[in-house]
Amino acid sequence: MRRLAHAALILVLAGVLPGGAAVSPDAAAAGAIRGRVDVRAPRGSRDARPDPAALGMGATRDPLDPRRSVVYLETAPRAAFEQSEERRARMDQRNERFVPHVLAIVAGTYVDFPNGDSTYHNVFSLSKTKEFNLGRYATGRSKAVRFERPGVVRVFCDIHSHMSAFILVFAHRFFAVTDDEGRYRLDNVPPGTYTVVVWNETVHGDAPKRTITVPEAGGDVDADFTIR
Amino acid sequence: MWTCRRGAVLCAFLLLSPAAARAQFSASGEAAVTIGSRDETAFFNYTDYEHNALRMYRISLNGMWRPDARLAFLAQLRSEDGEIVPYALYARVRPFRGRNFDLQAGRIPPVFGAFARRTYGADANPLIGYPLAYQYLTSLRPDAMPASADDLLAMRARGWRSSFPVGVTTPGPGVPLVSAYRWDTGVEAHAAGAHFDGAFAVTTGTVANPRVADDNGGRQLAGRLGWTPVVGLVLGVSGARGEFLSRAIGDRYAPVFGRKTYAQRALGVDGEYSRNYFLVRGELIASRWNLPAVNLPFIDHPLGAQTGFVEARYRFAPRFYAAARVDRLTFSRIRGQRLFGGAPTPWDAPVRRLEAGGGVYLRRNLIARGVVQWNKRDAGLVRKRTFVSGQLSYWF
Repeated sequence: MRRLAHAALILVLAGVLPGGAAVSPDAAAAGAIRGRVDVRAPRGSRDARPDPAALGMGATRDPLDPRRSVVYLETAPRAAFEQSEERRARMDQRNERFVPHVLAIVAGTYVDFPNGDSTYHNVFSLSKTKEFNLGRYATGRSKAVRFERPGVVRVFCDIHSHMSAFILVFAHRFFAVTDDEGRYRLDNVPPGTYTVVVWNETVHGDAPKRTITVPEAGGDVDADFTIR
Repeated sequence: MWTCRRGAVLCAFLLLSPAAARAQFSASGEAAVTIGSRDETAFFNYTDYEHNALRMYRISLNGMWRPDARLAFLAQLRSEDGEIVPYALYARVRPFRGRNFDLQAGRIPPVFGAFARRTYGADANPLIGYPLAYQYLTSLRPDAMPASADDLLAMRARGWRSSFPVGVTTPGPGVPLVSAYRWDTGVEAHAAGAHFDGAFAVTTGTVANPRVADDNGGRQLAGRLGWTPVVGLVLGVSGARGEFLSRAIGDRYAPVFGRKTYAQRALGVDGEYSRNYFLVRGELIASRWNLPAVNLPFIDHPLGAQTGFVEARYRFAPRFYAAARVDRLTFSRIRGQRLFGGAPTPWDAPVRRLEAGGGVYLRRNLIARGVVQWNKRDAGLVRKRTFVSGQLSYWF
């Protein structure tokens, strides 16, 4: 069931599922879809994996916050695929955490992984969307990976098992990562009817989704979600 | 055994109690199934008389309850081939806020060397076998003792089941130079800075024979100083000294020799360097044991053993790695009368080992490993033996 859901998500991120609007952005005034995603899952543990073999306490880290979500259009307007310029994004390694914990990018984007800690990190992923291993590198150095295929990439550190992050790769640009309060905003959405989907790491079954219509006149459309 | 049972109950309480669940509680663990060739004649990989490191299943469960940022209780239960043992059970305290200084008390992790603290875990051991220093059983026992040099020479290459005329006379397993299969009980202090870290422990057993209850009437002092000159390079120096022989043997010879100490002293140097996809580790360990000289021909010098290993791992693809370890264990020479014509002879049989293999990350936390291990020993019924072993390991 989880595999099916994952496969469906990849298709959705690729923008190949039917049902979305195919509207030219020039045809009418663009609107915006905005709202709030209320994630009621508890925060993660402060120390994900105890290490009885350690000789000392180790650093105290902020707990992982699973409330960061990604809101996206299941199928995007055709014009959204017309991307040509080289894009770059950044995922820092800081205080033995990946920052941001959730990153959403367009396919073809290079993601830099700078090491801001005073220890080695070894960023890797065994995800089907993108399999890579950057090896060990020290403070101040950075390595980059290009993500060509849409899908979900789970990122880990080979040295620090408590470090993890998500990179969501989309075939279009109609997505947004929620802010600290769970708010999001998808701008420049052409008029039409869309399915708005929410991805959150705590959701393992069907993703929450709603059908939203952006009127011909444009303007903002609200769509709130709750994840328990 | 009673202590183990009580420890297991306490561990289970710490891991499963509702109070623990409400507090800052976290858990981790590992399960590994290892299948390989039998080794019932050479005993190269036996960790005691029953368990073969290349052919066992094991489960470990770790729990940490952290009621406060400066206080934590840690426990680890391990089962190797079925027997459940509380491996670690201790309290960790950070007495000074903002200072990287910690105290640990209970059944604590070893401070000596580097390998014993990384025998379990995600990527702790790239191979399946253990280094000789931490696993290979010498003929020495804390509860039994050779009366003469000939008694000791007769047990060369029989560490899996040695027997001596003094102390417990029934056959039993000897000890490795440093045990990676049990942790000692005591108190440890650890401090760390930007480039240095140091740990010092007072415990009941010795590095070769960690204990829960004291049977030797003395304490072991052990410490390690680590230096990280640059990121990726770690160098360490370790030392330990503790009473080795059981009190029963010491008491027996006290009227003859007076109250003497029969100690194990160990000195170790360890290093690790890693960069990109390479990881290289190595250790040198020298150990000396003092035994009372009872009968002719006397064991008139401390018994020495030296060992060293170098291991390397290379991740040549995101899912695949190759690894190898070269290992050697040698012993000081003693002179018998009946055996070896009175010529100076190593008191136990030197061993060489080469282990090579690789692993596949089926998932991030599911690793399949395969190794080939070549062993050569200078004495014993079986002097050469090659083993093939495979392991499936899962951690969470």
